[in-house]
Amino acid sequence: MAYAYLFKYIIIGDTGVGKSCLLLQFTDKRFQPVHDLTIGVEFGARMITIDGKQIKLQIWDTAGQEAFRSITRSYYRGAAGALLVYDITRRDTFNHLTTWLEDARQHSNSNMVIMLIGNKSDLESRREVKKEEGEAFAREHGLVFMETSAKTAANVEEAFINTAKEIYEKIQEGVFDINNEANGIKIGPQHSTGGGAGASAGAGGAAGGGCC
Amino acid sequence: MDFLKSGLKTVLGAPEPGQQPSGADTVERLVERVNNSTLLEDRRDACRALKAMSRKYRVEVGAQGMHTLQQCLELDRADNETINYCLDTLNNIMSPTQFEEEEENPNVPMNIGEQFTEMFIKNHQNIQLVLDLLDEYDFRVRFSAVQLLTSLLTNRTKDIQEIILVKPMGVSKMMDLLADTREVIRNETLLLLIKLTKGNANIQKIVAFENAFDRLFEIVSSEGYSDGGIIVEDCLLLMLNLLKNNSSNINFFKEGSFIQKMLPMFNTPDEEEVGWSPQKVSNVHCMLQIVRTLVSPSNSAQIISSCQKIMKNCGLLDSLCNILMASGVPADILTETINAVGEGVRGEAAAQRALGAVLAPSNPPRPAIVVLLMSMVNEKQPFSLRCAVLYCFQCYLYHNETSQASLVQTLLPSSTDVSSLTSGQLLCGGLFSSDVLSNWFSSVALMHALIDNNAQKEQLLRVLLATNIGSSPVSLLHQCTVLLQQSTKLQSKVALLMLLSQWMSNCPPAVSAFLRAPGAVGYLVTQTCSNEHDENEYLLQGMSAFLLAICIHFNDDSVDNYSKDSLKQLLVKRIGMETFSAKLSEVSRHEAYSRAAKHPQLKVKAASDILIDYEFCKLFKGLESVLIQSLTVVQTNGDTEEDTESLAQYKSLIRQQDARLHELLQQLAAETQRGHKLQAALTDATSENSRLKDENTLLKAQLSTAASIQPAPSVDANIQLEYQQKVSALTDEVNRLSAVNHAANEELARTKKDQDDLLELLADQDSKLNEYKMRLLSLGQPVEEDLPTEAEQSLA
Ligand SMILES: Nc1nc2c(ncn2[C@@H]2O[C@H](COP(=O)(O)OP(=O)(O)O)[C@@H](O)[C@H]2O)c(=O)[nH]1
Ligand SMILES: [Mg+2]
Repeated sequence: MAYAYLFKYIIIGDTGVGKSCLLLQFTDKRFQPVHDLTIGVEFGARMITIDGKQIKLQIWDTAGQEAFRSITRSYYRGAAGALLVYDITRRDTFNHLTTWLEDARQHSNSNMVIMLIGNKSDLESRREVKKEEGEAFAREHGLVFMETSAKTAANVEEAFINTAKEIYEKIQEGVFDINNEANGIKIGPQHSTGGGAGASAGAGGAAGGGCC
Repeated sequence: MDFLKSGLKTVLGAPEPGQQPSGADTVERLVERVNNSTLLEDRRDACRALKAMSRKYRVEVGAQGMHTLQQCLELDRADNETINYCLDTLNNIMSPTQFEEEEENPNVPMNIGEQFTEMFIKNHQNIQLVLDLLDEYDFRVRFSAVQLLTSLLTNRTKDIQEIILVKPMGVSKMMDLLADTREVIRNETLLLLIKLTKGNANIQKIVAFENAFDRLFEIVSSEGYSDGGIIVEDCLLLMLNLLKNNSSNINFFKEGSFIQKMLPMFNTPDEEEVGWSPQKVSNVHCMLQIVRTLVSPSNSAQIISSCQKIMKNCGLLDSLCNILMASGVPADILTETINAVGEGVRGEAAAQRALGAVLAPSNPPRPAIVVLLMSMVNEKQPFSLRCAVLYCFQCYLYHNETSQASLVQTLLPSSTDVSSLTSGQLLCGGLFSSDVLSNWFSSVALMHALIDNNAQKEQLLRVLLATNIGSSPVSLLHQCTVLLQQSTKLQSKVALLMLLSQWMSNCPPAVSAFLRAPGAVGYLVTQTCSNEHDENEYLLQGMSAFLLAICIHFNDDSVDNYSKDSLKQLLVKRIGMETFSAKLSEVSRHEAYSRAAKHPQLKVKAASDILIDYEFCKLFKGLESVLIQSLTVVQTNGDTEEDTESLAQYKSLIRQQDARLHELLQQLAAETQRGHKLQAALTDATSENSRLKDENTLLKAQLSTAASIQPAPSVDANIQLEYQQKVSALTDEVNRLSAVNHAANEELARTKKDQDDLLELLADQDSKLNEYKMRLLSLGQPVEEDLPTEAEQSLA
């Protein structure tokens, strides 16, 4: 249970592009063809390993509808990473990326890592957005890009883990202020003794260490 | 808001010379000063005075000053003192509580604070203004802003929640205040957040996302956990709000290892002298509520099970069990701990095993379960405690064949140790006790050992009881039928019927045993046929019918006189199919049934309300239609002819149901349309209502001010009205003219200024022109008239 770092993610993008399915595939390793419409925001979590270090990912899956946009905005500020998802079989979801990106950039901290994801890559026959277009958009806006399938699980691990790697590198470079929790990063209990995270994390370590 | 002021003015008129100015007059003059004074000090003084008056004259200050105060928040933002007065005044006007100063005043409506709140929030920008003020570090401003938001939320929870939710960073701003090093602000923020998060899942999630649980546990631990003051309780109440019915947050709580952080909360004090202060009781009670929220049976099975596992593995369950067995624990804490332990183990085998292994520190040591059951069948224990024990025991047996078996085992003859008291003995004792509640609790507890467990149903048939010394022992089931026939108490009869229904369903040997018991069938038939009119009698009739149907459906024809067919014929002849179905349907109509069906835990206030158990409802719901069907199927042996006949029957039934479905769909569509219409009408009515309320507040304000004015000397009302109209018309005219005048004056001034500017420019140009001329002349160039124009062209 002990982790070196904790990162907070949000998943954003139009409704129906597969955000909830991506999260479920990542946390539970399963695909649910009929998924409930997300109302507001739903939480999921998983532990990963990067560079031999345990990293806990806390992920908030948001509802894509316009009605929930203002609620979603409350989550940008405290997130270290964002998965911006579109559906490769629906061009309109690709066209809306600019709006999503503007919204995210306006409300998040400037260091937030954004991963662009073209989902449903298993539906090649119904593809409406070329992979090159996704790559071009990502290059133009300085994002990392990947095509995934929540159904076959292709690239799903990679999408979440590469985002974490990017954040981890930024930490190593000293770009992120890791002592400011508002950035969506927390240092794990075992790390806190030397660092400045203070007594709270230390106390958590004592409690967590005894029981798990 | 302007109409309020002008409305007041017409009522007030000019103050009479030489008279003590009324409160309303003073308020009016103060408001005017805030509006018109150009000196900040002046406005500040006026705001201070308004604040001072806002308790006693809240209607006047609210009606006349609200708009001005709002403006002040915007315009005087830079002056913390003024802002502070403004906020406090607004807070007084909209305060949800009545002030001492206004207790005597009949003109102040009860919900005046709410009415003013409604007016204040009509403009969402006002909330934004207050939210923005939270960014101000100044103590007074921040403190007052927090208090004002708390009042607003108290008055109009849902509305304000929705407004704040769509304000960018609205919730986050409040969360930031929890980190304020000034404790007063932090504590006030806690109260604000409790109000803010009440019943709104979206806000709860944002607050959790903003690290609320971390902050709250920091505070709780720094305040000394359960020994801390009311701040600890506030923190826990907020946590409770965040978790209640919010699976996303529960998941987050679990994943964030916060369950482990609750552990120190339940440390039982080593020395007993430390005792339980009322605050500690409240703190621990809240914490137990949090535990129960995490493992509440209404959560998803996945969440419950993973929380239970963590609780067991981190030692939280042990800590709770320690409280269970500690001495000097207050009764309500004990009760709630028993409930929490129950839900902490419900359906989770490892945790149930752990609970089964807990030993009470008695001499000789007894299993904790046995000690608990002793309380359950003890008349002297508080009712709520006894209910809690039953619930805990049910949870201990829930979905656990091993604990069910071990209970039944204690009753079987092979059970060796006769000397020690066992669970089974306690329950049998309770079953036959003269205390009706003990009967009920014991029957239901025993019934839970049989749920979905056919092996134990058969095992329990082996249980023999020694009734009288010398006479031969009778079986437990037999004894239950005897009790059922003898008992005169409703609760005992219902309890036994529930136990027998559970026991005999899906268990033909138990049915046979019942059918062999003397008088048993006759009793059920008589009960079912009974004609008494009383909802409790209906229930008994229905439950008897239910048991009778079980006797038929699960009958293996092993008892001669009561084969399946003969019982059916008996039923048709003596009762009639229609009556029978009608009686059966009475069960689920009883109020106690619908109450019990909602939740596994009994929710009754008084001992006399106790009647039906949750698991019985489940049994009944599952079997009712099956039983009716098996009775209506034609009685003789099914040959092909019968089959086609029943096929035809089914077909016609389906057709009927189809038609009915169609009909219902149409009804639904009609109802939906009606609903839409009503909704529209409601919206209209609501807005009309809100307009009328505003008007009403205005009128009240007018009334209260009017009351303080001397009645005018006997002038004929008509004349007065005429004069008033004239005056108002004239005033309008004057206003219009002075506005025209003002505009004209302004225009004039502007023109004059333009003229001056032009003249100045002209003079300037003139002198430059002369200068150039001179230079040209000095250079020996001829001077032409159009020189400046050329210069301009070359510039272009
Ligand atoms: N074929 C395919 N279908 C997907 C994939 N991801 C999601 N879906 C389907 O797309 C629909 C919307 O998915 P959902 O996760 O609810 O979208 P959200 O609104 O973005 O959360 C569902 O019917 C999913 O079954 C994918 O990778 N491949
Ligand atoms: Mg979704």
